[in-house]
Amino acid sequence: MAFLQWRRFNFFDKEPVKDPATDQIFDQLKDVNVSACTSGRGQLIVGDFEGNLYFINRQMELTAFRAYEIRVTHLLQLKQHNLLISIGEDEPGINPLIKVWNLEKMERGNPACTRLTRAIPGNKPTPVSAFTVHENLNFMAVGFENGIVLLYKGDVTRERHSKSRIVYEGNKCVTGLAFKTQGKQDLFLFVVTENSTVAINLTAKDQQTLLENTGASIGCITMSDASQDNQLVIGRQDAVYFYQPDGRGPCLAFEGLKLQLHWFRGYLIIVGRESKTLPRAPVLGPHGMEMNTVTVYDIQNKFIAYSAPYPQVIDVLCESGSIFIFTGDRKLYQLQEKDTQSKLEMLFKKNNYALAISLAKSQQLDQDGLIDIFTQYGDHLYSKGDHDGAIDQYIKTIGKLEASYVIRKFLDAQRIHNLTKYLQALHMSQTATEEHTTLLLNCYTKLKDVSKLDEFIMTKNRAVDFDVETAINVCRQSGYCAHALALAEKHRKHEHYLKIQIEDIKDYQKALQYIGKLDFESAESNLKQYGKVLMNEVPKQTTELLKRLCTDYKPTDKPLIDQNSLDGTLPSKIQKANAEEFIHIFVNNSSKLTEFLEHMIEVQPNSSNLVYNTLLELYLHDMVHEKDISTRVDRERKTLDLLKNPDANYDIDQALILCQMNNFKAGILYLYEKAHLYQQILRYHMEHLEHLHVIETCKKFGQQDPQLWIQALSYFACKEEYCKSQLMEVLSHIDKKNLLPPLMVIQILAHHSTATLSVVKDYIVRHLQLENDQIAEDERLIKQYREDTEKKRTKIEELKTSAKVFQASKCNICSHSLELPSVHFLCEPHSYHQHCFESYAENDMECPVCAPENRKIMDIIRAQEQSKDIHEFFHNQLERAPDGFSVVADYFGRGVFNKVTLITDQHSKTSNASTR
Amino acid sequence: MSYAYLFKYIIIGDTGVGKSCLLLQFTDKRFQPVHDLTIGVEFGARMITIDGKQIKLQIWDTAGQESFRSITRSYYRGAAGALLVYDITRRDTFNHLTTWLEDARQHSNSNMVIMLIGNKSDLEARREVKKEEGEAFAREHGLIFMETSAKTAANVEEAFINTAKEIYQKIQDGVFDINNEANGIKIGPQHSPASQSLNVGGSGGNQGGNCC
Ligand SMILES: Nc1nc2c(ncn2[C@@H]2O[C@H](COP(=O)(O)OP(=O)(O)OP(=O)(O)O)[C@@H](O)[C@H]2O)c(=O)[nH]1
Ligand SMILES: [Mg+2]
Repeated sequence: MAFLQWRRFNFFDKEPVKDPATDQIFDQLKDVNVSACTSGRGQLIVGDFEGNLYFINRQMELTAFRAYEIRVTHLLQLKQHNLLISIGEDEPGINPLIKVWNLEKMERGNPACTRLTRAIPGNKPTPVSAFTVHENLNFMAVGFENGIVLLYKGDVTRERHSKSRIVYEGNKCVTGLAFKTQGKQDLFLFVVTENSTVAINLTAKDQQTLLENTGASIGCITMSDASQDNQLVIGRQDAVYFYQPDGRGPCLAFEGLKLQLHWFRGYLIIVGRESKTLPRAPVLGPHGMEMNTVTVYDIQNKFIAYSAPYPQVIDVLCESGSIFIFTGDRKLYQLQEKDTQSKLEMLFKKNNYALAISLAKSQQLDQDGLIDIFTQYGDHLYSKGDHDGAIDQYIKTIGKLEASYVIRKFLDAQRIHNLTKYLQALHMSQTATEEHTTLLLNCYTKLKDVSKLDEFIMTKNRAVDFDVETAINVCRQSGYCAHALALAEKHRKHEHYLKIQIEDIKDYQKALQYIGKLDFESAESNLKQYGKVLMNEVPKQTTELLKRLCTDYKPTDKPLIDQNSLDGTLPSKIQKANAEEFIHIFVNNSSKLTEFLEHMIEVQPNSSNLVYNTLLELYLHDMVHEKDISTRVDRERKTLDLLKNPDANYDIDQALILCQMNNFKAGILYLYEKAHLYQQILRYHMEHLEHLHVIETCKKFGQQDPQLWIQALSYFACKEEYCKSQLMEVLSHIDKKNLLPPLMVIQILAHHSTATLSVVKDYIVRHLQLENDQIAEDERLIKQYREDTEKKRTKIEELKTSAKVFQASKCNICSHSLELPSVHFLCEPHSYHQHCFESYAENDMECPVCAPENRKIMDIIRAQEQSKDIHEFFHNQLERAPDGFSVVADYFGRGVFNKVTLITDQHSKTSNASTR
Repeated sequence: MSYAYLFKYIIIGDTGVGKSCLLLQFTDKRFQPVHDLTIGVEFGARMITIDGKQIKLQIWDTAGQESFRSITRSYYRGAAGALLVYDITRRDTFNHLTTWLEDARQHSNSNMVIMLIGNKSDLEARREVKKEEGEAFAREHGLIFMETSAKTAANVEEAFINTAKEIYQKIQDGVFDINNEANGIKIGPQHSPASQSLNVGGSGGNQGGNCC
């Protein structure tokens, strides 16, 4: 059954090693009788049966020295230290010697030997058959042909402090030894003999676990690396077995006689000899050498990476990243691993994508490289018609490969199911665009896959991996309104929710409830948008909501008193909308509007004037259209109450227009009065020919606006019908209050033909009489003033011209008889004792008795003089005065029009005639 | 990760019936469409929970090829559970069940729980073995029966877990001597933290490789 094997590839390039100096095949070891090989730190080391050691560096330069007198048997180069440990013989007989070489330190041109230990178990010398050294340089195990394993503990590089003990005693030759550290402390030693496989726990009293009742021959034992969990690997005729310290692991049934096992970076290298009887007996190579097969297995990915025949393989050395095969003809071959890309290309050629992927992963190929493989694999499967398989691969390319590439492929092929799967994955990876969401939802709807749609949309607590608005729109368009609705609700897309609820589902009630749950701003804006429709459909609830919104809004699903206000940390702010902004919503529904506005002014008397205006308009409208008298009266009263409401902040002009349009008399009059438009009231009554009211109005408001009377006068004067009594009344009022000069009255009355002389006769007569009396009085006064003036003039003249005789006998101050020295004044005349005068007079120019009177007069004159500058005041007064002449006269009297100041000390000079 | 018990399973059956695929699906939740012949014995592990207890399943996937029979047989010993798999689209794999069963009974302990599995249930169109036939065979030989698909993962979890439940029940009933490791059951190392490190490899159940 030769085909029961893993797939075979050629991932290594074989090359004979050349000497770079000569560019010839490297053959410097051609005469060496090789006994052992090892490698490490860039160099290959060979020992021979003559006791020599050969070192070959990277440049293929060879150096050699003699390490043993007789022969070298075992070599081990440590990986982490530049130490070489060798076993060989210096003297005849069986006396194995362990030597430790420090390759860094040279002594007389050769590496320094730091330790020399005789390897003898007990007292019977026996040849060494296997040995190993722990990389921590603390443990060394040596196995002997007689089945004994000796463990050296302590510094490997020195003889001192090193203790040895027998850890295993079997009866067959020890063929392999290997250390394994497990966990932090546990140290195991695998011992393989010709007939058994054992694990010894060196940290637990050398406790032994028998792993298998069979062993292996020398060379067929190796340790895997960490990629295979550092297992012991043993090659037997039937298979390769893996072991952990606690038991047997898997096995690989690679048949055939195995000569060597090696481990190289995840690869197991087996040197074997075809044991199956081939048609031609033993294949012989050059120089009659037996041919071996070197096979490299990729254990993780399960394929053969290389396999080729070589003549009698002496050893396989894994160094500097490649495999060196040392063959019986003393030649070195180097196996160079191909780079990942060329390996993958080989796999692609064989359409072996699955393997390519696992290989790429195990070689840590970067993400781009992997994506490339997935894409090629997908393309391959697609071309084979395996759409299901292809889509699985394409899904792995999400994020790198252009999604449209895949989508187009599957759209063209009408593979909706596959496409759906891909799009779902696209969403899962958060890379979906709006178009993808649209497409996916369209797929669902096309497949009528409601459950998937449900899952996509309704699944709770899932991260949103799609564009919600797109999804809503698509669902809506394809008639899955409930889904669209659920989406909108879940993602709080209020606008969409309401649009769907109102326009598609037409569940206005629900829409309204929804709005009621929103926060203030959203509720407000949405009500503005949908208010009209909602008002049409569910007026009652809409009105209720509006009332809430415009007073003190709180979403219905929130507690009435929120936590903040409970804590007292933050006084909860009252949020309310402006009622007037919602008035337009109520078109066609005035009764609800009325209800709403009434509510508003009740809770907020300071509502804006639009609210009041509108309400007024509504009232008036209702009133006018009311047929029933009693209700109409009721309505009128209500309207008027509104008008009279002191809080009602309506616009008077507008209210007036409204009342006028609706011919609401009480209202109009009330508003005129409120606006102090008494003339309007009067005119209103005049227009309606209500004479009684005209008079009443005049009486009522005549105080504020006397003009009313005058208007009433001309009104009545022109009346065709006879309204003498009214005219009389008006006239008497005008007369009483002296509102018009008689001439004007006559003029007004004269304008109109209707008023007869008889009506005004009394009035005129009376006035003429009064005028006459006035004239007479005035003339009398003029005469009197003239006389006074004349008197004064003569007196002045007298004082100027004639002498004055002071014949007073008494002092006008102390009333005692006047004695000299005395002071006399011209004024009365007044006479004083000098000492009296001096003690009383304020100054010696003025008569103490006349001084107060004089000062009074002076003050008056000065006052008049002051006011003469107030021109404006004068003009005002002049304009307002019914008799301009008297005002001017008055000012003349005050000396306003005097050019220069008239006041001097004239008067006191006059009285200053001291006789002293 | 520590476990209360470790159960050792083997998966047996003709080549190509899907044994490796079942294991891969159970441990890695993947499906491998190409037939990679199992050469020898592979290994997989996963943690499951039964009755609130963490149980580690250590599963040996054997090669179905006749020529590997001697090697695979050596792995029967010390298995607490076996999945005996046939392919519902190939009657011959069903016909070979008796041979497999005899082999298993002969090389493992008598208390081993055997689950009969008719795999590839996704290929209904190509079915050659009726489900009733599988049921009848199981009844006759005292096995548990299930049809699975390693491709769609249908019943795969159940197949492994139900087997574990059966074993667990047998432990509760005292049928198994849990101190004898030859029975394929190990008590977890909770009480000795130092030895926890013993159960390395594939404990997370994400390594389908042949490591232990
Ligand atoms: N359709 C389908 N194919 C399956 C299923 N299980 C396995 N296969 C296919 O069957 C083939 C064989 O599967 P494997 O799991 O490798 O078979 P095996 O039993 O391990 O075979 P051996 O290792 O030779 O014993 C593969 O091509 C799988 O893709 C299944 O449930 N459904
Ligand atoms: Mg298999």
